[in-house]
Amino acid sequence: MIKNLSMQDLRNRGLALLDERVRIITAGLGLKELRAVLRGDPATEKPNPRYRVHTTSYVFHIRPRYYQKASTWFTHTFRLGYLSTLFFIIEIITGLILMVYYVPSPSEAYQSILELQNEIPFGSLLRDLHRLGAEAMVAFVALHMLRTYLTGSYKKERSFTWLTGVFLLLITLFLSFSGYLLPWDQLAYWAVTIGTSMANSAPLLGDEVNLLLRGAQDIGAGGLLRFYLLHVVLVPLLGIVVLSIHYYKVGREHSISLPARIEEGDLPDAVKKDATQRIDFIPDLLTHEIFLACLVTFALVVMCVFFYNAPLEHHADPQKTPLDTKAPWYFLWIQGLLKLGDPSLMGIIIPTLVFALLFAVPYIDRNPYRMMSKRPIAVALGLLLVVGVMVLTYMGTPQFGIETPPAVRIIQDLAPEEGVGPLRGIPFEQLEPGVYEVGTTDPTTLPPQLALVFIDFQERVTQAEEAGTLPDAQGFIVIEDWQADLKKVTPRIIWTDPESGQQRTFDKPVFIHRNRGSGGE
Amino acid sequence: MARTQLEIFFGLLLVSIAVLVIIYSGFNEENRMIAWNQSHQAEAVEVGAELFGNNCSGCHGAKGEGIQGLAPALNDRYFFTNRVKDVGWQGSLEDYIISTVSTGRVVSTRPEYVGGGKPAMPTWSERYGGPLRDDQIRNIAAFVLNWEATAMGQVQLAELPTATPSPEEAADPVARGKQVFMTAGCTGCHTIDGISNGVVGPNLTKIGEVAATRKDGASAEEYVRESIQNPNAQVVEGFQPNIMPQNYSQQLSNKQLDDLVAFLLAQK
Repeated sequence: MIKNLSMQDLRNRGLALLDERVRIITAGLGLKELRAVLRGDPATEKPNPRYRVHTTSYVFHIRPRYYQKASTWFTHTFRLGYLSTLFFIIEIITGLILMVYYVPSPSEAYQSILELQNEIPFGSLLRDLHRLGAEAMVAFVALHMLRTYLTGSYKKERSFTWLTGVFLLLITLFLSFSGYLLPWDQLAYWAVTIGTSMANSAPLLGDEVNLLLRGAQDIGAGGLLRFYLLHVVLVPLLGIVVLSIHYYKVGREHSISLPARIEEGDLPDAVKKDATQRIDFIPDLLTHEIFLACLVTFALVVMCVFFYNAPLEHHADPQKTPLDTKAPWYFLWIQGLLKLGDPSLMGIIIPTLVFALLFAVPYIDRNPYRMMSKRPIAVALGLLLVVGVMVLTYMGTPQFGIETPPAVRIIQDLAPEEGVGPLRGIPFEQLEPGVYEVGTTDPTTLPPQLALVFIDFQERVTQAEEAGTLPDAQGFIVIEDWQADLKKVTPRIIWTDPESGQQRTFDKPVFIHRNRGSGGE
Repeated sequence: MARTQLEIFFGLLLVSIAVLVIIYSGFNEENRMIAWNQSHQAEAVEVGAELFGNNCSGCHGAKGEGIQGLAPALNDRYFFTNRVKDVGWQGSLEDYIISTVSTGRVVSTRPEYVGGGKPAMPTWSERYGGPLRDDQIRNIAAFVLNWEATAMGQVQLAELPTATPSPEEAADPVARGKQVFMTAGCTGCHTIDGISNGVVGPNLTKIGEVAATRKDGASAEEYVRESIQNPNAQVVEGFQPNIMPQNYSQQLSNKQLDDLVAFLLAQK
């Protein structure tokens, strides 16, 4: 007995036992096979155990056994679909942690964000990751759709996949939009007020939808709680379900489309054969996906640590409408539409039609070909929509098409309600108390930064006077020592109203504290 | 090397760098949190300053110096050293300010100020029917507390070399009178639509129209002037005597009084 039990045997027995346990966990891959996978070597056993994983493992069952080589070309997909999913996962992880600190009530929400940023280590990083990840997700989902459209990958048996994709676009937009409200700052409050009041102007059920979303006539405690629950429960769940269907369709049923020129083009057989050879998911595509995940994590972390700060404006104030209200960038095109006419037509009917059209694309477009040269009209219409959305986005920016009274504009540009602006950019020490009058004060006697801002102000006022928009304009900047470490700066413009001939004054006191610029946004 | 191995290598490398970046930012987290805290406290003072200007300065003065006969100073040494003790308040001065602003002062504690035993300071929290949210009241408290350095004489503020310029006001008595109305404490108790929302005293939005009908034998101007100098001479029905300070004839110069009357008579 003892003789037979040599060290060699013992080692083999042990390895065999370990191998068995490992196979149970990896759904069929033994130790040797795992090593081969990590080295990128071919399978060590027959039949290929890597294929079996796709039926025996839950995680891999919605992934394909292999793709054809050409459909994995970077220039064909740009990995946009995968990146969208990746950002969705990042959002779920960071979102779950954020939920620990967030309180969904109007009296607590803003304070809880402040506490997260000011008192929780890495709290600000966490919020940055979630915010930037959300913006990236919207961008990648939209680009993914554009790519799918241009390569004609929505046709025939893939039409249902396209449908789930448009649904995912809506889910993404709504996720992002509902998250927008949660910090309960001015940015959030007014963007969502605009958004939901569009719902209000919808024909037929507008009032009811608005009431259902806001929980009252205006957004308050009820509305915030509803948006919160939609944001953290209902919509993510929907997203996970629809995304799983989308993935299953692509991974297990129809695969990623081949580039159109491989599928339809007149190519030599050898080229086609090479382009359609199998690339196994394990290990080639799996390691590639993990590599992309690492790359995205790296990029996102570096961006958030060194370059990006999630915006946080002042506490939401229903009494104080900001001068330049702004929708999130991906809804600026709707804001642009709103400037064109009737809110119910422009804000609801046209966007609804646009999305209905997107849903219907595979059913309207009966052209069987996928190459761009064989579907010029579809490509032209698609590009037209892209250009249209870009133009409307530009028109949606607050500067476009909205006349602000000149004096208000000048002072708003000098000291915007949110953010830094030229006036707040002046170092605190240079805010020397005094009355500075356009045309009287010699800028060279002022501290350098203050002088620059004053010269700019002087130019704007003089230009407006010469242009006749502010006749007899007088401009002042009054700086007062208000408290210890607090200055009151009042830009003031006095002019003669051309219609009534009376003197008008516009001014806006701005309080600047020494420590304001020391951190934060 | 196979592509798989390259990707594994660079993947690990990138994640390691990301982790290092996070660790590196971790060293600075303590300072970042301190800086952000300071910045947000500074922001609270700034926001509080604006709110104070819009809501409180009517009675407590533009710089919290108080208005004689109306409301006490909030920027003096007494307020920071003895006030909490004198009223027997258990908590901090900040709590005292927040509480007083929120719930108002049901009974005036100092007879020399407005009220004389009647409700003096109104309730400001929207929980008690006032206009302000809790975060706004916290910001006002942050602003008021920021007077401590000057009140204790640690910091001297620079005076402006000339008064705030406004040629419009210099020329027109009505505009000058408006300035008086805004700074002498009138706005704390009286409403003029578009200017102030006090509810303690009569609404003055139409005073220019009704002044002439108020007292037999007195012109509109005489009535208004008398009501400022001697408020108890004629008390509008529904209001109590002895609420309005009776020392405006000492507090205001003759010119200021003339301007104020001109302004009030222009309210039609």
